[in-house]
Amino acid sequence: MTDSHLTRRRLLRYGAYGAGAAALGGTAASWERLTGADIPGRDDGSLVVATLGPAYGPEAIRTLREGFRELHPDIKLQINAVQAVDWSDFFAKILTQVAAGTAPDLVYVATEGVQLFAQRLGVALDKWVKRDAAELKEYFADVHPSLVESMMYEGSLYQLPVEFNAADMYLNRQVLRRAGAQYPPADWTRDDFTTLLRDMKQASGARFTPYFWTNRLWGGVVPWLFANDTNLLAESKAPGGEWLWDSFYSAGQRAGRGGGFRWTTPQATHDRVEEVYDYLASLVRDGLCTRPEGGNGQNLIGVFSTGRVGVTPAGGFWAGGLHLAGMDRDGFDVQYFPRWRTQRMQYGAAGYALLRTSKRQEEAWEFIKYAARKDTLAQLFTTNQTTPARRSMLTAGRYEETGPAHWQVFYDTLDRFPDTGPIPAPPQVAEVEQLLLKHTGTALASSRSVRPALRRLQGDLEKAMERDA
Amino acid sequence: MTDTRIPPARAERPAAPPAKDAPRPSARDRGTRLLATLFLAPTIVGIVVFTVVPIVGSVVLSLFHWNVIDEPRFAGGSNYGAVFGDETVLVSFRNTLVFMVLAVALQLLVALALALTLTGRMPVWLRSVFRSAFFFPLVLSAASISVVMKYLFNQDFGVINWLLGFVGIAPVPWLTSENAAMVTVVLVYVWQQFGFSFLLFVGGLNNIPKEIHEAAALDGATGLRKHLSVTLPLLSPTLLVASVVGIINALQVFEQPYVLTNGGPGDSTRTVVMVIYETAFEQLRFGEASAVGVLLFVLIMAVTALQFRLSRRFVHYQ
Repeated sequence: MTDSHLTRRRLLRYGAYGAGAAALGGTAASWERLTGADIPGRDDGSLVVATLGPAYGPEAIRTLREGFRELHPDIKLQINAVQAVDWSDFFAKILTQVAAGTAPDLVYVATEGVQLFAQRLGVALDKWVKRDAAELKEYFADVHPSLVESMMYEGSLYQLPVEFNAADMYLNRQVLRRAGAQYPPADWTRDDFTTLLRDMKQASGARFTPYFWTNRLWGGVVPWLFANDTNLLAESKAPGGEWLWDSFYSAGQRAGRGGGFRWTTPQATHDRVEEVYDYLASLVRDGLCTRPEGGNGQNLIGVFSTGRVGVTPAGGFWAGGLHLAGMDRDGFDVQYFPRWRTQRMQYGAAGYALLRTSKRQEEAWEFIKYAARKDTLAQLFTTNQTTPARRSMLTAGRYEETGPAHWQVFYDTLDRFPDTGPIPAPPQVAEVEQLLLKHTGTALASSRSVRPALRRLQGDLEKAMERDA
Repeated sequence: MTDTRIPPARAERPAAPPAKDAPRPSARDRGTRLLATLFLAPTIVGIVVFTVVPIVGSVVLSLFHWNVIDEPRFAGGSNYGAVFGDETVLVSFRNTLVFMVLAVALQLLVALALALTLTGRMPVWLRSVFRSAFFFPLVLSAASISVVMKYLFNQDFGVINWLLGFVGIAPVPWLTSENAAMVTVVLVYVWQQFGFSFLLFVGGLNNIPKEIHEAAALDGATGLRKHLSVTLPLLSPTLLVASVVGIINALQVFEQPYVLTNGGPGDSTRTVVMVIYETAFEQLRFGEASAVGVLLFVLIMAVTALQFRLSRRFVHYQ
């Protein structure tokens, strides 16, 4: 209704306001700006692959993209390198994308997340593996069955592993010489290890730390648990998987294999677990190793390469890291983790997981196969920043420049100790890891705090495992 | 051209008759209101979108089980029950309160002491240098500062213990002992944050009329007595603002403990916001995380309300 007091002049003024507002609105609407549709690969028909940013730099992404384009010019590919400090952070960011409705088609997933993604988000690759069995024979022949088994969940395969890292022991040659010690034999024991640490400490002084370790699921307490023939959670194998083992592996290789690992009942209060914590507490007490909170992977390369640390658990990824830090190939070497009750070792692997929400599953499968090809991996893993899952890629030439001298240890960890297994990573892995880190810190405060802390760890793990992932 | 003259204040107008017979506002009044509303709109929209909606969303989410992947399921008050039964959550509230008390007290004390020193006799250029230096850490990223501090405070390889070694002090477990870790986190936090309180205090001190100090000096008040009886009461409104802002910030502390200690050793430096982050983004229990968030919101509101209530007694406006 028209205002009876509205004069012509005011009417004109409001008209001008309205026209101005409309012009502003129109300008804003037509302005070139970022919207949700501008998220790379979103709704433009691209196959979207999310990788862990720090592991895949711009050059690696370009290599992956261009190689795939040559093979499949008809498939648009978008690779998003998600920056994250660790796998847990990476998964949190991917899940945020899932929650926002912008889930990628493929996600690079390490052992830590294999079961979480398989149970909740992933698509089993079984039908494609069976269909393209002839094409994949060469791949499986080149990859250790243990790595493949670690990517299975309840009888189905969810990823093709492309890389792995076992927790072997890196030794600083300069520190060994200072201590008058020799490179240890392959079957060295926990006691040999302790003696070596004492010799190093004696030769290098008070401000030297013989053994540096990082409190995390990979390379922390868990390798010691494996060496003492136990685990944080009871480990068993799911039934199934014969479809894969019978198709690709010989009788000897498939013996004992199943449908993937199961980690169920917590066993933090078992005698052997307590033994491990007692041992580590004694190393802390005697100044032979860092405290759990003190071991920080970020500065490890620096302190190791400068001779302030003698020994640390690390995988093939460290060869490239030490080389980049300027360490000479003869400045360090690697040996298997020492024997305790067994010499079973620990590893983590990674590959691409296909998400259920993907509308491009056939294209995604083509990418998975492409990413597992030897020529692709050879182009990607040029600087020894990881251990390729393909045995044939570990050659003397690969390690000639970076070292270490005993590079064979990396893959032989699987071949020589076939029971070597993945880190315990059930679908509830985030909570399991958090509890492990927290209670390990408390447990190693002193030898008296081991048992109370492990009892609390046991109780908390039981609650976590009862909870739906 | 738009008429930008300010209309007469309401108080200057004749008393308003009963609403029923109230004259309709003039077109000019309506235009002014429209203009005011347009100017306020961006702020109001911002507050609604970025504050009100998330708060309401958190309250609603706290009544559901949601793991991002599956559909949310109504949980009633069970998330709150789980939160109250979770020892880690309770410990995190205790830690956060301890942190708040230590950090805010130290922050205000350091800022006030430095502000008093800088408002004393000092060359202007030197005063500017100090002001910039004290404020500088505040503009840096808390995460990057914490990463650097983590190196400095490392028990085995840190520069601080290395320096202490020269005077015969054994390595201090700055971040690896339950008692020392909280103190270290507080120190790092205060080092970065005190610049804000410092600037407030400098401004507050400059606003105190010199005549009052001169009168106090004539009455024989000097040194500490002058500050306690004159400066502090006159600075109390600034102290209130600094403490309110300081407490709200301290109750939301995350970056420093997350980077420096990851909440450890054990749970000794785990704060409420860390628990919210871990519960939501690592364990995918968004309902429980929201319940913790709602409780933190209530705590912050309660503490702030208490401060304003107490301020009636302790804050003196000139």
